[in-house]
Amino acid sequence: MDLSWGLVGQLAWTGLATSTFYYLFAVAFALVLKVNRVWNFGQAGVMVVAYFAMYTALQLWSAPPLVAIVFGMTATIAVSLALEWFGFRVLRGRKSSVLTYFIFTIAISQFAIYLGELTFGADPKTLYPSIMSPVILVGPIAISHWDLRALAVTISLALALAAFLRFTKDGQFLSAVADNPELAEIYGIGLGRTYAISIVIAAILVAAGMYLVGTRLPMYPATPLNQFLVLAVVATILAGIGNVFAAGTAAIILGLIQTFSILVISSTWQILIVYALIFVTILLFPSGVVLKRSSRKIVRAGASASGAAAPIASPPAAKEGN
Amino acid sequence: MMQYFYIIAIFAGINVILASGFNLILGYGGLVSVAHPIFYAIGAYVSALVAQKLGVPIVFSIMLGALVAAATSVFVSLPSLRVSGDYLVIASMGFQLGLLHIINNIELTGAAGGLTNIPSMIDEPYRNVIFLVVVWGLVLGSLWLIRLLVSGPYGLAITAMRNDEDAFVALGRNAIRIKVTLFALGSGLAGLAGGIYAHFFLYLTPEQFGIFSSAALLTMVVVGGAATIAGPVLGAVLLTALPEAIRFIDLPIAIMAPMQGVMFTLLIVLFLFLRPQGLLGGREGGLDAWSGTAETDSASDEEGAR
Repeated sequence: MDLSWGLVGQLAWTGLATSTFYYLFAVAFALVLKVNRVWNFGQAGVMVVAYFAMYTALQLWSAPPLVAIVFGMTATIAVSLALEWFGFRVLRGRKSSVLTYFIFTIAISQFAIYLGELTFGADPKTLYPSIMSPVILVGPIAISHWDLRALAVTISLALALAAFLRFTKDGQFLSAVADNPELAEIYGIGLGRTYAISIVIAAILVAAGMYLVGTRLPMYPATPLNQFLVLAVVATILAGIGNVFAAGTAAIILGLIQTFSILVISSTWQILIVYALIFVTILLFPSGVVLKRSSRKIVRAGASASGAAAPIASPPAAKEGN
Repeated sequence: MMQYFYIIAIFAGINVILASGFNLILGYGGLVSVAHPIFYAIGAYVSALVAQKLGVPIVFSIMLGALVAAATSVFVSLPSLRVSGDYLVIASMGFQLGLLHIINNIELTGAAGGLTNIPSMIDEPYRNVIFLVVVWGLVLGSLWLIRLLVSGPYGLAITAMRNDEDAFVALGRNAIRIKVTLFALGSGLAGLAGGIYAHFFLYLTPEQFGIFSSAALLTMVVVGGAATIAGPVLGAVLLTALPEAIRFIDLPIAIMAPMQGVMFTLLIVLFLFLRPQGLLGGREGGLDAWSGTAETDSASDEEGAR
């Protein structure tokens, strides 16, 4: 393949635009891990719900896009809250082992995938009959309307989340609970409410991400588990557990690596890059490469809170109040 | 009709070996991995290919498949277990998805179309009967091996490790070595099951070893009762027979597979919340056995009753 600056620029742009939904998924995953202290593999199931809720509204009911997005977001939030209230809360109350959380979240994702396949079929689907997007040329680089929309949505959501965490009381409560849930509770912060807020924020990010996916790529029901979630988990580990926005940045880097890999390997093998990166990350950067110091601090706090020696935070078994 | 029941009984036996190996990892070791089917696949493909392409006698090819599965599991588990047991789930998932992707796309394994013309270990006329005896003989051998492992001195070490790993390590014992050993033994059993499967059914496709298989295996162990010898046996037999019962409804395959998936995963979730010890877990088995919470809960219940 002839390498030119135009080609490199195009790959960089396309990779960046495609990584927008990876960013949203990684931030959602990292936030729930940080605040709720759950490796939420159930996020893949939530992604499936978000996607097919919007698909139903758009393709089966012929609803306008805005109505479909609102419907998809509502369904995603409802399912996420159900997961928190009827799943995680019960397991926390029982002081269930990390093993139980893992099995529960993985089973939930698999359940959603099979339900999606049963209801909508196992073939790939897009949210609109056509996913072609008009293109403008900036020098040698083709920029589609989808690219611009995806970047605008992702940047807006990232800024809104940063502002929420920094300037609102609830946002600060999230950080307090993430640092030390027992102490936060002593100061009167309702753990149940805080966990619900974090899961709702994650649901919003996931729904937005799935809308971007569905307007860009055909999607199989199993894609969220096989690809998007795996990438989000790798990004979270790479960023250092507890660094929410760094997880997003790591996801963009992973997306770019995947895009640029087309220069050396065929598209059939591109996905293997992500799977190979899992081992590279675990072997070389088990505590992350970004903001190592703060991640260690959070890890230590998590371990001391739960009494676990593992380098990740275990689910806390504190009482929940509103 | 009798031949049909032989086939189901053989398949149930293969699943018992598979589920018992998985139980060694999940139930006794407390190690989370959803990638057990990939070691089943390694055993199946290695055995089939070695017998088919190199003409190795099938008994040796099955043993080689099991060994390769066990050796590969060490390669997958060691890096993640050195960091944290929790990283094993993602490392194993990545390994499963990556290897399945490769199997799906290379000519050697027959790609997505599947591998055919696998040599049979036993010829007609008594093929099914002999296979049935061999498979259930191996089931008994595997269960005896697992029982020996978990009830002897090594079993005490496993229990000590799973109940308080910090104390276990503080006493100078090597927890990682035990975990990797359990993972390798469980994966080796999966490889053995895969080899038998390949030389009985004589056809392999990558989709047999995907997330559906992961869900089915999890269901067998969780429903039967993790950390018990008999639990996965019951789980495997039940969950081999149940889909066969549904098969008589004669639904199209496009509906059958996801419907089974929905049922299996629903069963996992229901059992997790309503009966985490599984059908045969009793007071000492089940998913919480390895963390010691089952015992603690029952102790506090008794205290509360007083």
